[in-house]
Amino acid sequence: MPALLRMPKLSLTMKTGTVVRWYKREGETVEKGEPIVEVLSEKVTCDVEAPASGVLRKIVAKEGEEIPVNGILAVITMPDEPLPEIEEIEKAVTVEFKKPVEKRILASPAAKRLAREYGIDLSQVVGSGPEGRIVEADVRRFIEEKVGYAPKIREAIPLVGIRKMTAEKVSLSKKTAPHCTITMKVDMNEATKLKEKLGVSYTEIIVKAVALALKEHPIMNSSLKNDKIEVYEDVNIGVAVATGEGLVVPVVKNADRKNLNQLSSEIKMLVEKARTGKLEKGDVSGGTFTITNLGMYGVEAFTPIINPPETAILGVGKIEEIPIVVNGEVKIRPVTVLSLSFDHRVIDGAPAAEFLGKIKEFLEKPSRLEN
Amino acid sequence: MREISYRDALREALREEMIRDPTVFLIGEDIGRYWGGAFKVTKGLAEEFGDERVRDTPISENAIIGVAVGAAITGMRPVAEIMFGDLTALAMDQIANQAAKIRYMFGGQAKVPLVIRTPFGGGVNIAAHHSQSLEAWFMHVPGLQVVVASTPYDAKGLLKTAIRNDNPVVFCEHKLLYPLTGHVPEEEYTIPFGVADVKREGTDVTVVATLYMVHKALAAAETLAKEGISVEVVDPRTLVPLDKETITESVRKTGRVVIVTEDCKTAGVSAELAALIAEEALDYLDAPIKRVTTFDVPIPFSPPLENFVIPDEKRIIKAIKEII
Repeated sequence: MPALLRMPKLSLTMKTGTVVRWYKREGETVEKGEPIVEVLSEKVTCDVEAPASGVLRKIVAKEGEEIPVNGILAVITMPDEPLPEIEEIEKAVTVEFKKPVEKRILASPAAKRLAREYGIDLSQVVGSGPEGRIVEADVRRFIEEKVGYAPKIREAIPLVGIRKMTAEKVSLSKKTAPHCTITMKVDMNEATKLKEKLGVSYTEIIVKAVALALKEHPIMNSSLKNDKIEVYEDVNIGVAVATGEGLVVPVVKNADRKNLNQLSSEIKMLVEKARTGKLEKGDVSGGTFTITNLGMYGVEAFTPIINPPETAILGVGKIEEIPIVVNGEVKIRPVTVLSLSFDHRVIDGAPAAEFLGKIKEFLEKPSRLEN
Repeated sequence: MREISYRDALREALREEMIRDPTVFLIGEDIGRYWGGAFKVTKGLAEEFGDERVRDTPISENAIIGVAVGAAITGMRPVAEIMFGDLTALAMDQIANQAAKIRYMFGGQAKVPLVIRTPFGGGVNIAAHHSQSLEAWFMHVPGLQVVVASTPYDAKGLLKTAIRNDNPVVFCEHKLLYPLTGHVPEEEYTIPFGVADVKREGTDVTVVATLYMVHKALAAAETLAKEGISVEVVDPRTLVPLDKETITESVRKTGRVVIVTEDCKTAGVSAELAALIAEEALDYLDAPIKRVTTFDVPIPFSPPLENFVIPDEKRIIKAIKEII
């Protein structure tokens, strides 16, 4: 059987090595343990010793060649042994390559289970059982000493579907868009009257107010793309909907051009589609601004995360009857807090505040929303 | 609570069931008025219930079970006694091929409410033909239920359930258990099949033991308690049906298990229990499953050799210490 000389792994991170110089030529006799080639990896050189005595029959890796760790450098045979075809050797080597080079860790099933539950790498644990077997107590000790307090994992939920999409979107948003959130109190007295008069909901009224405000402050209706701020002509407002599967954002197209009744029936249909998982791609794409409402959960104000690549998002808090001063008199009025998060790269605080003030104005004097 | 012997507990169960149900009758060798059974379990019953209901037979095991199977099919509830468990081999066709299968093969139109009482086990120097533990044979035949009662309380409660059961039941006793005494309530009670009993609670290791081995395991547990090792002793009480829940729950708690049975090791009761634990509680095992059983040899007549081949307290302690 020919002996194979392989590229050694000189460091934990080493992936390849370069052949620097052969000390022996093909056909020369080598002794087991004798250095026969110099290799280099990450500026470390090392001599590789013959794995067996015999004849250096075939040099596979030429000087200067880069070879993966464990890759074949040369073949050593007995003097009278036939040299197999190099393809065969390589095939044999590839096969051996695929075998995971993994030391079996002796551990009891209970120890393995505990390690799994706490996400512990058993190769780090010293076993105290027979033949060094890792037992449950060893893992427990390891957790106490090395990990400190580690909560026990009940289940591992794979990050898939809407959850995964949301995870990617919010982290992209927080990483790329420097968020700034401002809040404003809005007296919803007139909006409430309008709501009752038309038989619509607050959502439509707010969507309409935002749409009209966006027309007057188009910079809020934009996306930062590379080194350009693309300001949109269309006002497409996403309405965040919580479903059992996660958060989805169906989009009301051209909200500025629809009246409250149209908005009402369209939003109802979109929410229904969202709740029953029937949203299509067209329903959730093309948004230029998003509204998210946590008011029904009793939230007063919050810091919503911008739905990328949009520039801003409006958070709606709960509408609560509180005493406020109107024309020098204390009145009980339904009041909500609007929270506007905006991408500070695109717009500064003052213009953003003006935009928010515009929404407030539309909601407090909603006659313009009726058209 | 009063204490009575295992033997008396069995007799009480038979007597009470015979009073309760006139279809219950006993059949076996020397069980009648002249001898009262080789181990005196049926003593006095022939006098009380008559020779018709406590039927003495010749030495004819296959016929005893054959008659009992026929009687059971026609609506009686026979309790047959085979004097030594080893001799069930002579009746194996009736037990395994008839009693066990009739209910199935007749699509439930016939049933075999039969109890076969028989003592197993060694320790009384009566050699290879009278000392075996063959519970596993019956576990291996679908259709049979297998009881292994280790205390007077269990014996009475389980025998009553066996008699009321509509399936053939092999009721395994143990020769050394007959004189053993224990609490048995005066009032009526039964013990359901498939409910194991934790005979001693512990936290470090589970010992699953049956019949007389329960008592050896309890003795070992007592000795080890003095060394700070806490042993839980679980007695399945019925091997078919088997209370997997209690056994695996105990193993999940302790992470270690030693199975102690008096039958020999290969393809024995302990093999079945070990397989069950490996299948259903593997992730909780912190050490290999240990088995302490009789060695794979015919039981020797020589008392020192017999004592050597049958598990004792020392072997149980050794096995426990090997995995603690």
